[in-house]
Amino acid sequence: MRHIISILVENEFGALSRVAGLFSARGYNIECLTVAPTDDPTLSRMTLVTIGNDRIIEQIIKQLNKLLDVVKVMDMTEGAHIEREMMLVKVSAATNEAREEVKRLSDIFRGRVLDVTERIYTIELTGASGKLDAFLQALGENVMLEVVRSGVIGISRGEKHMKV
Amino acid sequence: MSGAETIIQVLADEGVDTVFGYSGGAILPTYDAIFRYNAEHRVEQTGTDPLHLVVPANEQGAGFMAAGYARASGKVGVFLVTSGPGATNTVTPIRDAMADSTPIVGITGQVPTGAMGTDAFQEAPIVNIMGSCAKHVFLVTRPDMLEATIRTAFEVARSGRPGPVVVDVPKDMQNWVGEFQGEGLLPVRGYRQRMDSLRSAKLSERKSRQFFDMLGQSSRPLLYAGGGIINGNAAAELTEFAEAFNIPVVTTLMGLGAIDTKAELSMHMLGMHGMAYANYAVEDCDFLIAVGARFDDRVAGKVEEFAPLAQHVAHIDIDAAEIGKVRLVDWAHVGEAGRSLSQLTRYGHKSGFDKDFTAWVKHCQQLKRNHPMSYDRESPLIQPHFVVEELNKLTEGRAVIATGVGQHQMWAAQYCDFRGPRQWLTSGSMGTMGFGLPAAIGAQFACPEKMIIDIDGDGSIRMNLGEMETVTNYNLPVKILLLNNMGDGMVRQWQRLYFNENFSGSDKALHRKDFVKAAESDGFPFVRRVTEKAELKEALKEFVEFRGPAFLEVLIDNDASVYPMVGPGMSYQQMVTGEWIPAREIKSARERLDPLHTPDLF
Repeated sequence: MRHIISILVENEFGALSRVAGLFSARGYNIECLTVAPTDDPTLSRMTLVTIGNDRIIEQIIKQLNKLLDVVKVMDMTEGAHIEREMMLVKVSAATNEAREEVKRLSDIFRGRVLDVTERIYTIELTGASGKLDAFLQALGENVMLEVVRSGVIGISRGEKHMKV
Repeated sequence: MSGAETIIQVLADEGVDTVFGYSGGAILPTYDAIFRYNAEHRVEQTGTDPLHLVVPANEQGAGFMAAGYARASGKVGVFLVTSGPGATNTVTPIRDAMADSTPIVGITGQVPTGAMGTDAFQEAPIVNIMGSCAKHVFLVTRPDMLEATIRTAFEVARSGRPGPVVVDVPKDMQNWVGEFQGEGLLPVRGYRQRMDSLRSAKLSERKSRQFFDMLGQSSRPLLYAGGGIINGNAAAELTEFAEAFNIPVVTTLMGLGAIDTKAELSMHMLGMHGMAYANYAVEDCDFLIAVGARFDDRVAGKVEEFAPLAQHVAHIDIDAAEIGKVRLVDWAHVGEAGRSLSQLTRYGHKSGFDKDFTAWVKHCQQLKRNHPMSYDRESPLIQPHFVVEELNKLTEGRAVIATGVGQHQMWAAQYCDFRGPRQWLTSGSMGTMGFGLPAAIGAQFACPEKMIIDIDGDGSIRMNLGEMETVTNYNLPVKILLLNNMGDGMVRQWQRLYFNENFSGSDKALHRKDFVKAAESDGFPFVRRVTEKAELKEALKEFVEFRGPAFLEVLIDNDASVYPMVGPGMSYQQMVTGEWIPAREIKSARERLDPLHTPDLF
């Protein structure tokens, strides 16, 4: 099963490589990983998407908790949560027809056209990863020139919050 | 105070009395600081250094000496080496210490911060390399944090599940001059918070009751004690618990000494090369209580068939990640072994628990009598088991035994007695050949009054043979008993069993190495080789009684094997006991269901 794991780490030299190293050393996979400092500059928050059965996820969380830099670990997928990923896509839009089609699709998916040239539209899209996948599928291979995705970030719904 | 002096002052404040290390460019300021510290603080009357600097032949030796020091004493072992090759030579001991949960602080010099990342002379990315092996690695990039970093390294090494911590100190940090604070730690808030909750972890009434409910339902409980008992200084609490409720104990290789092996309740070692009777007890038990043990593949080769009759399994460990990692259990507690066991003992007494396990204890005694360790006693060739057995008679199980890795290690584990904890220094998890000699040296520095014996093999001792000289340099009364079988015996044993007797790379019969000459050239005052069985007892006696560095080589039967043996990935039912240890008839599953009432077992 796919899990979104949020990790608060000390904003220290080598913290990211230690988390990544743990995954490679123990053979856990990382589907995607995002990391940035938080409102507290001494802390960074990592969001990591991984796939594994309950036993593997339990081990991942326990092993993460053994790292010195790790302050807090939470499996977002345990409860109700919000997941977001951002994507920038360059698509070929050389004809009137193509431009209209791209604009229409982008509107349907609540995307925004950020940049326009004679032949190319650049679109921004935000949502759960599944939605981004669906947009790419709808666009079709032929028009896609470049895709960049931010990786997933997540936050739990309701009262629950992750703070030191 | 300079950064280098700061390092030495923190070491002194932490109670360090011995530092193992080899100098070099990037650590020179700190070597100068230790020299000056000793000159200023030397004890006049005795001429002893407060921070004894011990120089090995190779940095790997320094790492294992620090490990031997830590394992024998329970204190944090310290090594101090230079950058690049000095530091990378200690990767093996660091990983070894991690795998066996040994508290070590390793201080490595690093090229100046300005040169880092330029492929400078003797530069290596120690944070990356050690990051994969150590409990933690600190790189000091702010000199005002150096003092707190070194102090925190000690805290991390000894707290929770102990382990090795590396501090990488660039040369400019050592040369920096600033004020010594005398206190202060790094925040490490997450870790410290987890350690606090671990220390205060208490077994609730409810959980204690559940435990004793399971014990009450059981008629054949068995304690399975691991290295956590030794590292957690919980041998007394384990023994008290076992005796309070009359529960037999098997220990892992790392747990030897957790209970006096001569005690009535001790069933000695279980596992791949465990005693037949210990493994039979595991097969027969109906309640398995694991404490500070982790169902390693050398113990539970086939997890689903490990302790097959156990209705319940309980697990106490200081590391939450070990709970449920290999074996799902019915009852688990994360906490210190000693505290947890004494809480259980108290609860049991308070609640008046009085289930009688006498029949089961008798059954275990009978297993010991019926399936004792044995070997070819009539053989004209010297059997290694005989050597260790005779040595054990002389030491009465009171010596500290270090070993390399392989057959000799298993014979030492099987035929030695361990009357208490910290008498057994062996590379269990990593299985590092060459561990024994430097570990024995480190242990001798930690315990100058104890008899330290390195039981080694010819393959293993070669790996750190340079440290023979360290023994005589410091005139240590370390005893080296070399069981020479002309090659890598354990490898040959596996090649005999699984590789059609193709002794690929493991036969050294044609090697010309003369170990006696080697020991003589290093200045050992006692050097002897035994080739005849008749000489052995007398030679061993002389060896044990000699005061000073002693080296005894015994040419043993090259074909001797380690038995019993549970093959890799196999269950205890498939244990092979060899020619000399009586095996138990394999019972059908239905018959085995009631071991206590199977008359032929008595």
